[in-house]
Parts: sequence; structure tokens; C-alpha cells
Amino acid sequence: MFKRAILAAAMAVAALVPAAHAQQRAICYNCPPEWADWGTELKAIQAKLGIMVPEDNKNSGQSLAALIAEKANPVADVTYLGGQFGILARNADVIAPYKPEGWDDIPAGLKDPDGYWFTIHSGTLGLFVNTKALGGKPVPKSWADLLKPEYKGMVGYLDPTSAAVGYIGVVAVNQSLGGTFQNFDPAIRYFKDLQKNQPIVPKQTSYARVLSGEIPILFDYDFNAYRGKYADKAPVEFVIPAEGTVVVPYVMALVKNGPNAANGKKVLDFVLSDEGQRIWANAFMRPVRASAMSADAAAKFLPAAEYTRAKPVDLGAMADAQKALVERYQREVQ
Amino acid sequence: MRRSDLFHDVVLIAPAAIVFGAFFLLPLVHLVMVGGSGPGGFAVYARILTDPLYLGSLISTVALSTAVTLATLAIAGVVGVFLSRNRFPGDALLVALLTLPLAFPGVVVGFLVIMLAGRQGLIGDISLWLFGDKLVFAYSMAGLFMGYVYFSIPRTVLTVMAAVEKLDPRLEEAARSLGAKPWHVVRDVIIPGLKPALLSAGAICFATAMGAFGTAFTLATRINVLPMTIYTEFTLQANIAVAAALSFFLGAVTWTALALARTAAGTSVAAAG
Amino acid sequence: MTGRGLAFYLQLAFTILVSAFLIVPVALSMIAGVTANYLEGVSGGLTLDWVVKVWGLYRETIYLSMAIALACLAVTLVVGVPAAYVLARRPSAVTRAIEELLVMPVAIPGLATALALIVTYGGFRGFRTSWLFILVGHVLFTLPFMVRSVLAVLSTIDLKTLEEGAASLGAGPWQRFFGVVLPNCRSGILAGALMVVTLSVGEFNMTWLLHTPLTKTLPVGLADSYASMRLEIGSAYTLVFFVMIIPLLIAMQLAGRSSATRPAARRGGA
Repeated sequence: MFKRAILAAAMAVAALVPAAHAQQRAICYNCPPEWADWGTELKAIQAKLGIMVPEDNKNSGQSLAALIAEKANPVADVTYLGGQFGILARNADVIAPYKPEGWDDIPAGLKDPDGYWFTIHSGTLGLFVNTKALGGKPVPKSWADLLKPEYKGMVGYLDPTSAAVGYIGVVAVNQSLGGTFQNFDPAIRYFKDLQKNQPIVPKQTSYARVLSGEIPILFDYDFNAYRGKYADKAPVEFVIPAEGTVVVPYVMALVKNGPNAANGKKVLDFVLSDEGQRIWANAFMRPVRASAMSADAAAKFLPAAEYTRAKPVDLGAMADAQKALVERYQREVQ
Repeated sequence: MRRSDLFHDVVLIAPAAIVFGAFFLLPLVHLVMVGGSGPGGFAVYARILTDPLYLGSLISTVALSTAVTLATLAIAGVVGVFLSRNRFPGDALLVALLTLPLAFPGVVVGFLVIMLAGRQGLIGDISLWLFGDKLVFAYSMAGLFMGYVYFSIPRTVLTVMAAVEKLDPRLEEAARSLGAKPWHVVRDVIIPGLKPALLSAGAICFATAMGAFGTAFTLATRINVLPMTIYTEFTLQANIAVAAALSFFLGAVTWTALALARTAAGTSVAAAG
Repeated sequence: MTGRGLAFYLQLAFTILVSAFLIVPVALSMIAGVTANYLEGVSGGLTLDWVVKVWGLYRETIYLSMAIALACLAVTLVVGVPAAYVLARRPSAVTRAIEELLVMPVAIPGLATALALIVTYGGFRGFRTSWLFILVGHVLFTLPFMVRSVLAVLSTIDLKTLEEGAASLGAGPWQRFFGVVLPNCRSGILAGALMVVTLSVGEFNMTWLLHTPLTKTLPVGLADSYASMRLEIGSAYTLVFFVMIIPLLIAMQLAGRSSATRPAARRGGA
């Protein structure tokens, strides 16, 4: 029995080892298949470049932490991060500059001047609502609506201490309720009040939970909501809150001293190429190279009049204020 | 002969010593040092006991684990004694069902809690049908508590059953023949007889609940149990020093509980199954 | 046998209720994994499509978990059985202290052990990114169970007499170990082996921190699927997990039952 076990283990090891080395690879931190349709993008990368990029469900905070922890010997080659995390990653010295083709098409405010990170697409934060799961209650139209007792147990938002979209939700609420990056009182007061409605606070992308109705109202981006509505044909709507919200870029960067740096660069080239950008556009994001946006996809967005309430943010200010706000959230809201 | 025996024994235990020393003892000591390597130095260990966020997390975890342990001991005690002492058709099946979830990971238990008490959960449907009001508590303290009790019951039932089998039935018979009522027999003979087993089972239950991570992670509750706080610190730009310091406290509390229970029980703590 | 009173039926009802609490969600989740649409339930039709999809998405995690569990078993056998033998041969304060020490990875939360491994060995990229990194964590966590299991059996048999008998017949120390001791602790090895494999397949706390996108195990995949995939996929994946682990758990129960029918032998040990 002893010997048989060892033999079985040896065979298992032998079976695993060759399989691992045949493929060209690049490791991405934060490429969740169900967020921003990364699933399709990763398949395209495999098909067009022959590079296998395994999917990864880390959020921005978990990715940055992993990059810092692995600084001496990085595991990842590229990373995808929420807007201000690009600046934080550069400060932490875990990314390296690389300017892919198409770099010049990116507007100035959406890329690091020295090439450390660049926007690939942006989205607008709002309410991702499963109308059927509301059980007959009216679709909320503003941040304030969510404080009403009728939505008890129905509201969710990603954790501001680790997910970029979590922190960005706090910022969006804050800006729209009159706060500034120096004064987060409106947001803290809002989230404290929101706790009475027993919100669900996941750490990672919860697209499927909205579709299933487990989380009827989620603070999330328009692209995830549109994908649910048009691609997955779920009974969902996107709502831009009446008080206003923010438009946020999502960025990518090359990891410093990654194991497969050459493949990493090819991946970054692809996400910025016409084909890569078109995939983002078809997934209802605003591609950073606006030329890739098709009229067909654009037609499916909410009318432009609604989008006037969405304002861009100062990434630098957002990055600077993050640590203090997260600590404040932990102490006062949790 | 004796010298070669000693040599022989050392060779046999050396692999375990090496594996354990290199991959557990050394890294743990290193972790404690890392705890003191942050900007605050070793003072961070003291800070944890005074900082309301961390202290609150530690206290709420201890409170939850204690509540779970007491509830589990009560439930498993009744069920374990009943099943050991009574034979009836289907008793083996009940034992099998009760101990089936023995090694389910916390994530799966969290998922099962959502199946029971989530928005589309069974309990919600039943309460809607019975009372017209959907009861959803998967994402609150109640859901977390339920999940913890769920994975604690199987192991505790096994331990209780094993201990009941070792009880001397003559003590109970003697008590009964002296006229003691069934409840008094339970209180004065059975429970004291089971005390060592209950203590050690309770200690394991407490230790497991303290260190449980997967369940809280899946349930996305706002209650910050200590393992979640550790994980959050780690993901807050790799605040490893604080994460390490918190881990030290978590390990210390757990290990102390087990040691205390061991000395009280007088025997070594039983491994499961 | 005295007549069954009210107390019996009350306790029986309670026991059945508790069993239902444990089993009903398992059954629900297994059924959800084969329904065409969770919201419609069984009436919407049954299908294996989700299971097939899970296989396509998560096949590697299943293979990896099985491989790690078997490797973990091999290592704990080679490392743990001899250690248990030495501990049984020389019962003393020292060996008791060693036993205490070996149990520590079970007492210390998996998160802490994983963090410790990462800060100490994370710098060796080849090691960090290989499945061996996860294996180390699993071995640390399961070793005490193997040692305890074998030790429990060894402490019930009269090891000293057996060994002296063999030695007087001319058997050397290695012959004694392989020819006399090992066959006698077969039941302990079997129980320990089942425990090790079951625990390794289900290990999450440590593996969550130790894994990389290329070394995902089944529980790690489950966590991902619960958060981001459709409920049917999460359920189907859970179904696959149950199919893997429930036979192991049943085997453990049967092995425990068969060793319990040796009443004279089970005198010592906690």
C-alpha cells in the first residue's frame, strides 16, 4: 500500500510536469473573466498571439499587495488596475515603463507621463440593478434612494479597502454629495447610514450574483450592467444616480522584472491595438482609443443627457487620498 | 545494540524534523520578526491590543467562536449521547449523515449557507410561504454563526460518541437504582463523565472557529473576524508587518485555548476521526 | 429494552432535524448543479451541461488537487509513519513535547502559516510559482493527523514485546520496522491516509494565499466561481467536489467502523 501510494504520486507528478511547459505564457494579475469581458479578451490573446494568459480574480488591492509581496521575485508579467492604482503601483516601485503602439492616441490625463501605466478603457460608476429581483419595488434613481428601508438587504458594494471599484464608489458618492478629496464627511456619513440597510460587501467581482438576483442592487460600472442586459439578456438596468457620479479609467502596466516580460509586452500591445480595443468597445466600455467605438455599441448606452452627470476624476488626488479614506472607512463604518 | 537503535530512531524521525523545522518553525520565527520590521517596530504588537479596530476584531472573533463552541457542544452533546445509547433502524445512516461534512472547506460551507439563507435560499422560500416575509440572513452575523456551527458539528459529534462509548454504564445504573431521575442522571453522572471529551472537543471547535477564513470570505459579511482582518491588512498594499503581528495574536490565542483545555482534560487533544 | 418514552422521540426528532440541517443544503446544491435553470428548479429540466462546462473551465484545478493530495499522502507516509514509530518506542516528556510541536500547524491558523511561508521562501521564484509550494503547506497541516493516527494504533499494541521477539529471532532494526511494525499499524495508516487525502483536497485557508494563477486548486476555483460565475456553475462545480470527496469520507467512516470492532485493542489513546 505504501509502495502503491508512492507510485501513484510519482505518476501524477510526471503527468503534470510536461503539461506545464509547452505553452507560451504571460501571467496577469486581475484579469477576471466576468469583469469587463476579460474572458473574451483573454481568448483573443490566446488565438491571435498564441500566449496563454490564465484568468485571475484578484481585485486591484489584492493585485498590488501581491506585487509588493513578490517584489524580489515577481510572479506576474502584467497587471490591470483601477485608475488611481496605477499611481500607487508606481510609487511602490513594482511596475516598469513600457509604451505600446498606439501610445500617442491616449489623451494626456489618462496615462503616466513616463510610460509606467496607461488607460485601456473607462467606465462610469452607477447602480447595476436586477429589476426582477427587486420584488416589485421601484428602481432606485439616486444614491439617497438606497438609504430607504424598502431596499433593506438588497444593496451591495465592493469592499473599499481592497477593490478599486469599492473605493471609487465612495469617491463617487462623496463628490456627488458635495464632498472633496480633503473632506470625506459626506461619504462616511452616507455609508454609515447605509449600514442600517444591511448591505452585502463582497471583495471580488460579483457580476453573477447580480444576474442571479442574489444582490439586486450593486455599485458597479455601466459596462458590466450593459453586458448583463444585452449579452446575457438578464433583467438588469443601469442607473446613473441623480446626484451625479464619476467616470473612471482602468489601466494596465508591465510588472517590473516579470518572468515572461517579452510576452507581457505583446499582451499590452494587443490590448491597445485596434482589435483589442474593439473587444472592449463591444463589451460596452469606452475604449481609450475612441476610434474603436462602433456606432452599434454606442447606441446601447444610456442617452448622453444622462451621462452629463458623470464627471472625470483627478487620478492623482484620488491616489493621494486613498490610504486615509480607507483607514477612516475601517474605523467609522465597519 | 542500543547505540545503533538510537541512530536508527534518529534517522527515522529526521525527515519529520527537517520538514517541520525548515518549513514551519523557521518561517514562523521569521514571521514574528517581520511583524516587528514595519515602520512602528515591535511596538506594533502592543498597538494591536490598544487599537480599537484590531482589538475589536479580536474580541468579536473570540465572542463568535465561544458562542459557536457552546452551541455546538450543546447540539452535539445531545445528538452524540442519543445516538451512542440507542439502537434503532436507521441509526447508522444518521451517524453517516451527521459526519459527512467533516472536511468541507469553509468556502463550500459559505456557499451552502447562501443556498439555505440567501436571497434565493430555501429558508427564504419557506418563510415567504409561511409568513409572507422573506427571511434572508446569510450575510449577517446569524448567517456566519450558522455556517460556523455547520462545520463544527461533525467533528464534535464524533468525539462525543467516542467518549460516550468509554463511559462505564454501571455508574448510571447505580444512580438509577438509587432512585435518581433521568435528568439527574444526565447532570450528575453523564456530563461529568464526558467532561474531558467535551473540553477537548470544545477546544478544537474554538480553535477551528478562530482560524476560519473561507466561510467569512464567501459570505462577504461586514463582521470583521480576525482572519479577514489579517487578509485585509495584507491586501492593503501588503501591510505585512501588521498582518504578521495579527497572525501572531491569532495563533497565540488559539494555541493557548488548546493548551488550557488539554491541561483541564488531562489527556491529549483528540485528532479527528 | 424498555419502552420508548417521550424523551426518546424528542431526541430522535432533534437528531433528525440536525441531520437535515447538515444534509439538505448539500442535496440542494447537488441538484442545483444539474438543473437547467436554478430559478426554475427541477421543473425546468435536468441537464449535465453545467457539469460539462465546469469540466471545461476548471479541469486543471481538479487534476492539480488530486495530484497534490496524492503527493501529500506520499510525503506524510514517508515522513510521518517512521516519526510515529519513534514516538511510540520512546514515550517520554521529550516525545510528548515533540507531539505537541507537530500539532502546532493545526492550531495556528492556515493564514498565518501561509504568510510565514511566503515571507520566508517567496523569494525563490521557481519554488514560489510551483505546486510544490502548496504541497509544503498541505504536508505541514496533514502530518499531525497521520502521526496521531499511527501513534494511536501503535500505543495499543505491545510494541516492546513484539520487537524484542523479532530481535531475539535475529531481525535487524530495518527488518523489524518493515516486517513487524508496519503490518501491525495498517489500520492506523489507512485511517491516517484517508484523513490526509480528504484534508488536502479540501484545504483552502493556506492555499488561497499560496496559489498563483497557474497553480489553482479545486477549493480556490470554487471560491472564484461562487463570486463571479452563475449559480448553476458554482453548484455544478460543488457537485464535482462532492463527488470527489464524499467517497473518501464514506471510506473513512467504514475504516473507523471496522477498527472499532476490535474491542480489546482500543483501550488506550484519546
